[in-house]
Amino acid sequence: MNPQPPKLAQKLFDWFCGNAHVDDLRGDMEELFFINLKNKSRSYANKQYWKHMLQLIFSYAVKKRKRNAQHHHYSSSQISIAMVQNYIKVAFRSLYQHRYFTILNIAGLAIGMSISLLLISMYGYVRSADNFHTNPDRIYTVVTKRTEGIEERELASSPILLQEKLKTEIASIAQAVPIVNTFYGEIANSKDQLNMKGYYTNDTFLKTFNFPLIDGSAEALQKPYSIILTEKCANKIFGNTHVVGKTVEVKELGIFSITGVLKDYPKNTHFSFEALVSLSTLGNSYMADQQHWYEYNAQYNYFLAAENFKEEDIQSFFKKIEKELYANKNVKVEYELMPLREIITSEEGNAIGPKWELSGFIVFGIIALLILLPACFNYTNISLARALKRAKEIGIRKTMGGQKNQIFLQFITETVVVCLFALTGAWLILLFIRGEFQSMLVHASTLDLSVSGFTVFLFICLALLTGFVAGFFPALYFSRLNPVEAIKSKVSNRFWSGMRVRKYLTVFQFSLSFCFILSLVVFGRQYHEILHFDFGFQKENIVVVDLQNTKPELNKTLFSQVSGVESVSLSSGSPISASSHVWLENDVKDSIAATQLFIDNTFLQTFKIDLVVGNNFDSQGSNNRNKILVNETFLAKNKIRLQNIFSESYKIDGEDYQVIGVVKDFHFLPPPHPIQNFVFRYDETKFAYVNLLVNNSDNVFNLFTNLENAWKQTSQETKLKAKFFQDDLNESYLVYRYLLKMAGALGVFALSISVLGLLGMVVYTTQNRIKEISIRKTLGASIFNITLLLSKEYLRLLLFAIVVGIPLALFIYDSIFTRIPDYQSDLRISDLFLGALGLLIIGLCTITSQTYKTALLNPAETLKSE
Amino acid sequence: MKTYLGEFEELVLLAIACLGDEAYGVSIQQELQIQCDRNISIGALHSTITRLEEKKFLSSWTGGATAERGGRSKRYYALTQSGRKALVETKNLRDQLWAQAKIKLSPR
Repeated sequence: MNPQPPKLAQKLFDWFCGNAHVDDLRGDMEELFFINLKNKSRSYANKQYWKHMLQLIFSYAVKKRKRNAQHHHYSSSQISIAMVQNYIKVAFRSLYQHRYFTILNIAGLAIGMSISLLLISMYGYVRSADNFHTNPDRIYTVVTKRTEGIEERELASSPILLQEKLKTEIASIAQAVPIVNTFYGEIANSKDQLNMKGYYTNDTFLKTFNFPLIDGSAEALQKPYSIILTEKCANKIFGNTHVVGKTVEVKELGIFSITGVLKDYPKNTHFSFEALVSLSTLGNSYMADQQHWYEYNAQYNYFLAAENFKEEDIQSFFKKIEKELYANKNVKVEYELMPLREIITSEEGNAIGPKWELSGFIVFGIIALLILLPACFNYTNISLARALKRAKEIGIRKTMGGQKNQIFLQFITETVVVCLFALTGAWLILLFIRGEFQSMLVHASTLDLSVSGFTVFLFICLALLTGFVAGFFPALYFSRLNPVEAIKSKVSNRFWSGMRVRKYLTVFQFSLSFCFILSLVVFGRQYHEILHFDFGFQKENIVVVDLQNTKPELNKTLFSQVSGVESVSLSSGSPISASSHVWLENDVKDSIAATQLFIDNTFLQTFKIDLVVGNNFDSQGSNNRNKILVNETFLAKNKIRLQNIFSESYKIDGEDYQVIGVVKDFHFLPPPHPIQNFVFRYDETKFAYVNLLVNNSDNVFNLFTNLENAWKQTSQETKLKAKFFQDDLNESYLVYRYLLKMAGALGVFALSISVLGLLGMVVYTTQNRIKEISIRKTLGASIFNITLLLSKEYLRLLLFAIVVGIPLALFIYDSIFTRIPDYQSDLRISDLFLGALGLLIIGLCTITSQTYKTALLNPAETLKSE
Repeated sequence: MKTYLGEFEELVLLAIACLGDEAYGVSIQQELQIQCDRNISIGALHSTITRLEEKKFLSSWTGGATAERGGRSKRYYALTQSGRKALVETKNLRDQLWAQAKIKLSPR
């Protein structure tokens, strides 16, 4: 028998090529084999055959022939407009036909995308920051890294002493702008006690940055005590903008002559000022102070580079300066350049205006993704579950010559249509949450979240991307269906191995929702505890009146005559915000640091703080000199026995003080902080507030009118500034309320997405089992039995989600919440329990709403149709 | 330039032209090996032929069964009208460039 080419190679080639027409290629290989066999050895021929086979397998020729073999040769792999039209039409029809699922999907995706839209609007704002200047890419600022001992700080500022050196040593700097941002003061002679803040700078500021003047000359900032107001600020002070030539007096700073009015600048800038004041106002001694090389927290350098500017020039200049100035000092400063556009997202400590750190964006982005991804999963889940219903359509499309990538495109189109609808929904949600969100941020007034062309473009990109992510797996699955099996309704679920993957997704979603609910529970409990926290003093029904430099004693008498006022006292501040510290020196022991508050003799009575031992201050002010009251902690911390306290004497600022009494402990710092040493002193000159204990009457309006009338007797010019102490107190917990709100919103979003997903799954499975249910019912199953049967599986998923969610929540709690400043709280078992309960109740309601409905169906109705 | 022919594409087209009615995979390879004195992989050759066919420079038909290659058929190739045109254009371009050369190229 004649020798044959290697069998294995032949088989491999046939297997690889499948049903493609490669007869001629095999013939070619065989011919070459026989030629080789004639001339060379058998093994050489074999080796060559293998080589040829492999070459052909990887060649374009076989690839092309395989592709051609997949479809009838009249079917086209090109995508025509007509087909895309058809895809869209079919998408709309199928979405309409399955309205229920479509609405579920759109709602889920809309909620999921809304947070991302918020993120995109913020990104749009930050990206547009400072783009309105003439040459934004050539403006730089100098930032520094300041090292003192082991303390290392990154500052957005740098000494303005650099200016002169920069200008003389580097030729390629067109403008150098010094800024000192300490200008802040109250405007004298204004009724509403207006404040004004701004920058000290010079004319280069206006030349470098694009802040146009609407009035005044370009040399407006040359002379000392010149000031440029923004339109807004001019309107605030004068009510109009024709103010050039007028003067404005700022308390403690002097009288400034207005030399210009600046057009209100757009919000997308990292600057924030109401006025620009000439730098020369600060005087030569300030400008030349060499100490500023080491202390420059409020000084900023900007410069506009010429076109031939090279970064290396300035870096070598910086190196030189660093060597020159800080060689033998204990303060080391390293200078660095930062381009203008990057300032707003920089992490440096003392920013000149609003800033939006990149790290914040990343956290926000992760949260947005955690909300969006489950929504995508939902879509994937529901689409795959309903694969059977679409299988016939796909089978027919394939038989008619539809190619894999065409089917894929069809389903992606459908998802994209859904996503575009969802985008509209998300946009509506965004309009709703945008204001709320902005009110929670520190720099909210400078944040502009309005929509620009760029953000709309990103929105649409997001919708398309979401559509692709959500629709990828279903589309892939459908495009791979075997048409014969599909038409026979024998779709196997091998690809997704039963329901397993969908179950994983559901569990993941609910674990996530569980975490959100848990954080909601923790924040809620925290907030509730704080609102009802026992500070150890009276906080209800106390009205605090700002004295505004009027006579304390006179006011005290006047207010005590107002009806409804039970007790009046004077103090230098409220017990909760006492921030002044004092050192008590003792001849024998170490000095003691304590928080102090100046009060009068009725203060303890007003705030219902009990005296443990000793006496209160005397009603006669002069008897209270050099006397102090201390709190219990003061004794405990310094190991002083109660009976010995009166023999102790302390020196404050060189004067001897005697302890005359001990008061019961109260919290003067918010709850997580422990109680510290506290000292009450008496000093008439320090009183700034009147505290009124009013009786628990409903008529607050009357009370305040009476108070106003009393106030008029002391001061005609100023208005009464009175507030309930508790309102003030609650305001200081704003951060807790915002956390609660934020967690609440995110929790509701995440949960509603999960619930929508669960709803979709439950509806689908129950619909599929309607016949089974009906037969069970005819055979005598009770409604409860059937509801249980249908719900059991999902209940298990929920429980599993909680089991997975608890460690996840603990992990998140450990890594995130403990890092929020001013926030300390423990996670309690009861919180976990409450969170789990909440999730179970919501999940159960969702499941049973559908299963119970199905269980109620009349079997006669559903069974007769076959 | 309207059509672009790679060097190898041009060679394949010319080889097919040389072979006339007998141009199929192996014969084209042998012809090129003899004429150019270089080894040509069968994979690369068939890839190029497929691309030339896509460009409509070649037409092909299946021949009958043959005894010497295990009874397998041959696929014959021939130049199309546009294939011929492409070859002519390429040649013209070369001639033009040769004629315009400022230095002496051939050692004659």
